[in-house]
Amino acid sequence: MEYPQIDRYAGLASPIHRWDPRAKLVAILGLIFSVVLITDLKMAMVGLAVAILLVLVSRIPFRFVLGHLAGVSFFILPLSVIILFSYHQGDEIARFAFLTVTSGGLEHASLIAVRAFAAVILIFPMISTVRFDVTMKALERLRVPVRLVRMIMFTYRYIFVLIEEVQRMLRALTSRGFTGGMNIRTLITTGKLIGMLFVRTLERAERVYRAMLSRGYEGNLQTLVEFKMRKTDLLKAAVLIAIAVALNVL
Amino acid sequence: MREKAISIANLSYTYPDGTPGLQGICVDILRGESVGVIGPNGAGKTTLLLHLNGIFVSKNGNVEILGKKIGKESIKGIRRDVGLIFQDPDDQLFMPTVFDDVAFGPINMGLPREEVIRRATQALRWVGMDGYEKRLPHHLSVGEKKRIAIAAVLSLNPEILVIDEPTSNLDPRAKWGFIELLRGLTMTRIIASHDLEMVQALCERVIILDKGQIVADGPTERILVDVELLQAHGLAPDNQAGQSHKQH
Repeated sequence: MEYPQIDRYAGLASPIHRWDPRAKLVAILGLIFSVVLITDLKMAMVGLAVAILLVLVSRIPFRFVLGHLAGVSFFILPLSVIILFSYHQGDEIARFAFLTVTSGGLEHASLIAVRAFAAVILIFPMISTVRFDVTMKALERLRVPVRLVRMIMFTYRYIFVLIEEVQRMLRALTSRGFTGGMNIRTLITTGKLIGMLFVRTLERAERVYRAMLSRGYEGNLQTLVEFKMRKTDLLKAAVLIAIAVALNVL
Repeated sequence: MREKAISIANLSYTYPDGTPGLQGICVDILRGESVGVIGPNGAGKTTLLLHLNGIFVSKNGNVEILGKKIGKESIKGIRRDVGLIFQDPDDQLFMPTVFDDVAFGPINMGLPREEVIRRATQALRWVGMDGYEKRLPHHLSVGEKKRIAIAAVLSLNPEILVIDEPTSNLDPRAKWGFIELLRGLTMTRIIASHDLEMVQALCERVIILDKGQIVADGPTERILVDVELLQAHGLAPDNQAGQSHKQH
């Protein structure tokens, strides 16, 4: 069965893989914030180049990244197109019927798209170069609010169980002649399916909670982790933070 | 005379919606005993098991574990002494990795780091799952998950093991391997199931639960040959079904 596997390439060896996950999270997250704050198109291009460079260094196949970008484009491209036609500044460079494109509009639309793609690409060297369970432990050690980390943790553990449950329900529907389509019956059936899924999830949550209590859960969810911060880890972080600052200051 | 591991006196339970779950349960289980709790679906087996480590608490305090009444003060110790293994291992294994899961109990007990690691490693070795520490539960087979669910409880060194439907969803090979594993454990064991083959292989004593009541309690070799008794409680095919089967 095909699962969404964000950490499929965590087993590779690269300077990014060897980087302490805590330093990596902080540094790349800093870079992501810096990239989305850039107001200059040229700098945004530099940001995009840095992002692509990091992916290359991490040895994550670019095909994998592109596969995920396709989904993200779905949100970014319509937004850019709207800005392209609605933001009017500078010389007019093209006209389609009642729509005009100005140089300012083109620059603004490109800026939005480049920044967004750069930010999304940066997620891969940050998240995909380390097993997801280690990422969660790093978040915990970085004192990200515990509730948030636990929510991510349980989502990660049960998303696959949930996907299988949905697949079983869909299979049961199909085997009894359900074909779907654009009609009210499909909507009603889907609604009922989602409702059932909620009920089942709630029941499972109850059972999981009982299992937790049975093993002495008292509101404290801990794991054992060993992280070791070396000088090279800090150095790598320093370089990326410097780039992050430079992108917005220069 | 052996000490009592579990003592239940007149335990009743009603579900929040008003349906009776358990009625007037009285039973003593001795240390080191291996007891099968059998009964049809909906007989109240799981409900009874959930009373044994205080997930469900009776108001009258009529459940005693190793001489201690279940209550606010005793609950922590009781949950350490009673290892409850749930039917669906996906409910039991909730941590991101196998090691985290097996270490969950010992960490909650506040054990030092080295002891947590030692116990988790040992428990995984007991169930033949060493080397699986870094694996993710959702990538494992049902049989593997079941073994790890046992390890997750064994790491607490429980005195009493309570297992709900241990062999459900296992193929025969996984099932018999799992039975061998359970046979190797020496603590007091309570096993709820309707897999009579497994109960026969593992339990010296059998309790039949039906409609929330204990309807029979005795040595396995006596109960499991009493076809009429089993038929009366939906644990064996009734005569008509058996005969019509022969005619075809």
